[in-house]
Amino acid sequence: MPKLEVKNLNINFGGIRALNGVSFVVEGNQLFGLIGPNGAGKTTILNIINGVYYPSSGNIFLDDKDIVGLKPYQIANIGVGRTFQNIELFKNITVIDNLMLGRHRFIKAGILSGSFYLGKCLKEEMVNRDRIEEIIEFLEIEVYRKKIVRMLPYGIQKRVELGRALSMDPKILLLDEPCSGMNTEETEDMARFILDIKEEMGISIMMIEHNMEVVMDIADRICVINFGTKIAEGNPKEIQSNPKVIRAYLGED
Amino acid sequence: MAELTLPILFAHRVKELGEGVALREKKKGLWRRISWDEYDTHVRNFSLGLKSFGLRKGDRVSILGDNCPEWLYADLATQAAGGISVGVYPTNSYVQVKYILDHSQSRFVIVKDQEQADKILLIKDQLPFLEKMVVIDMKGLRKYDDPIITSFREVEDIGKSIHEKSPSLFQGMIEETKPDDVAIIVYTSGTTGPPKGAMLSHHNITSVLDSFFKVIPISRLDSLVSVLPLCHVAERLFSLFIPMKSGCTINFAESIDTLQADMTEISPTIFLTVPRILEKIHSAITIKMQDAHPVKRWAYDQFLPLGQRVAERRLSKQDVSLFLRLAHFFAYLLVFRPLRNRLGLLQVRECVSGAAPLSKDIMKFFHSIGLMVKEAYGSTECTGVFSMPVGNDIEIGTTGKPIPGWEYKIASDGEILIKGPAVFAGYFRDEEATKSAKRDGWLYTGDIGEFDYQGNLKITDRKKEILITASGKNIAPSEIENRLKFSPFIKEAIVIGDRRPYLAALIQIDLDNVADWAQREGIPFTTFKSLSKDPEVYKLIQGEVEKANKEMSRIESIKKFVLLEKELDRDDDELTATMKVRREMIEKKYGDLIERLYK
Repeated sequence: MPKLEVKNLNINFGGIRALNGVSFVVEGNQLFGLIGPNGAGKTTILNIINGVYYPSSGNIFLDDKDIVGLKPYQIANIGVGRTFQNIELFKNITVIDNLMLGRHRFIKAGILSGSFYLGKCLKEEMVNRDRIEEIIEFLEIEVYRKKIVRMLPYGIQKRVELGRALSMDPKILLLDEPCSGMNTEETEDMARFILDIKEEMGISIMMIEHNMEVVMDIADRICVINFGTKIAEGNPKEIQSNPKVIRAYLGED
Repeated sequence: MAELTLPILFAHRVKELGEGVALREKKKGLWRRISWDEYDTHVRNFSLGLKSFGLRKGDRVSILGDNCPEWLYADLATQAAGGISVGVYPTNSYVQVKYILDHSQSRFVIVKDQEQADKILLIKDQLPFLEKMVVIDMKGLRKYDDPIITSFREVEDIGKSIHEKSPSLFQGMIEETKPDDVAIIVYTSGTTGPPKGAMLSHHNITSVLDSFFKVIPISRLDSLVSVLPLCHVAERLFSLFIPMKSGCTINFAESIDTLQADMTEISPTIFLTVPRILEKIHSAITIKMQDAHPVKRWAYDQFLPLGQRVAERRLSKQDVSLFLRLAHFFAYLLVFRPLRNRLGLLQVRECVSGAAPLSKDIMKFFHSIGLMVKEAYGSTECTGVFSMPVGNDIEIGTTGKPIPGWEYKIASDGEILIKGPAVFAGYFRDEEATKSAKRDGWLYTGDIGEFDYQGNLKITDRKKEILITASGKNIAPSEIENRLKFSPFIKEAIVIGDRRPYLAALIQIDLDNVADWAQREGIPFTTFKSLSKDPEVYKLIQGEVEKANKEMSRIESIKKFVLLEKELDRDDDELTATMKVRREMIEKKYGDLIERLYK
């Protein structure tokens, strides 16, 4: 079971200390919610985990291997998938092509055999396409399969982006606000997909989400960040009754 | 022939066609073929598996879910094991599901997916007879640890190991099925009162098949797409019974959303449909043509009347002049052919509409584009079909002649009475209803109708729905409602007027099409409600009502109408599972609104 351990993470942007000694552990096959007010440093944590930022100090262990200092593509190759707060798909190509890009780490064929679509390359394409079709079925986006991403509704684009992250067969998935900007129905669908990913595919998930109903409903464990500092961690029930969390969200009297 | 049952027919087809394609299912974007041999293996294994769970002769097994090959496997497997299969509408709420499972005393239920499984888990404690739930698609359910759940795969695996030990067991089970055994129970959708379970025997089914093939011979080269709910007797007839005799291929679309594209890829030769779908296709074409390229629109506007003229001449069996034929050929090449191709209806040679009356205008429209829609009449109680036009002998407004094998007469009050080997065995656990529907072997259909001079059956309306105005005139509301619904802007219309001085109507606008119109006209709106309340929309509908009135006698015209501010919904008990309006319920619910129409 893949396990992600964040130890004493610090990062400074100029004079601002954005993260201050944050530590937590995402156990195998756990749905870990990361919440906190705007600007608390949640996305920064994701960015450090997948190598976009380099922390001032601290360690991140994926299955006991320190991944700090690896390049984002290297981190992706060892199985960290992610989606973004603002959809980062390739807007002018089809859903299938976007998902195939997610399979990049499995495709070994070079430019030459790729351009002539030779034996090995063809076989590789079929194997990967097969996996992608499984994901398409899983996310129920069959009807959009050959559509250009730009033309799709927002909620569906979010789902496609999730699909792209899934298509790299990650060990752990980092989701940055998967339900933002969605209506109730889309939110419910997304919550169901996230749960299914955890249960069916056995992937650990770390999720930032502002929709408290969703987080409290589906997360196994929640960590609360405020001004770069962890203020609480526990199961949804504990978090809901934690006075520090209530203060952070509702302000002081 | 008399000893036939559906499982025996199935065994014959498997023997005859073996490697041939029985079913196609779109999965992972590709059509996958399932041969008759594979079909047989699935049915056999599942049947043996059910048997090992203790299924006895005559036990009921409910099937709840969208159409898929496993639906058919489960249905045949149940029958082969001597059980009775009961289809449940996948759109039913858990309350309705509970009613049917409880009333049928089902010991087993087969569900498609998590959505349906959750309904069963919610009600299982109130169902003393239920022992096992078999789930076809286990996605999202693997973490459920309720002992009632088994996967379809597991049951098949159990059956497989039984078959390996005693390979002749299944054959023996099939041979034990008897023509007079009840094969399936079909619960009527119930426009009035709770659903009733009509029992259909193997003999009912095989006799209706014999008659049907005399009117529409279907071969193994035919194919059709299974779209309508399989728990309805008509879809069951086309997707399960007919292939057992003809060996034709049944296709399952990937999902409801991809249906249109999947239809185009398969291009079926037989198309079973209902008025609601035809209405939807018609209004989609009408609306889309407004957005089409001017040249296309021009061609469509020119050629549609031409098609209509040819269709009318052909229907009235007049000669079509050479010039007209030539022009029609161009119209076909330029407009009708691509249009039908787009709809996936290019190869259709038999298009049958049933379940509800179809408006004449819709029918004329489809004939104009060369799709010879025919209306069939039948009911669950007569195993699906009573009358249907033969070949191109179609008289619009009638449901053709009774198919061979039926005796029939019209009662003094106009009710259609029929007699024959396909009249159902009775309602399950409802002696009283059986007695009132079946007297001296005659089935009282509850429909009013008459035969024209050519012997074509013309259905007036449901007996219960005939309106008698204050002036004493009998009026069939469905025909008027259909005229109204021909307008792309009207989705549903309910004509009122029983013991009233004039006719009025409750109208539900078609949200998509009216919204589209409002955008064109620059009328601001936010929701269905605001759109329905808009005076401009009222004027639009008024125009449509007046158009429909022109074609009707004065007494049949709609004097007043009101737009419903919400869409009729199944969940509010306003529509049945087959989307039929529950008149009584609506008249009660919108009583105030109706009163205002008569002030």
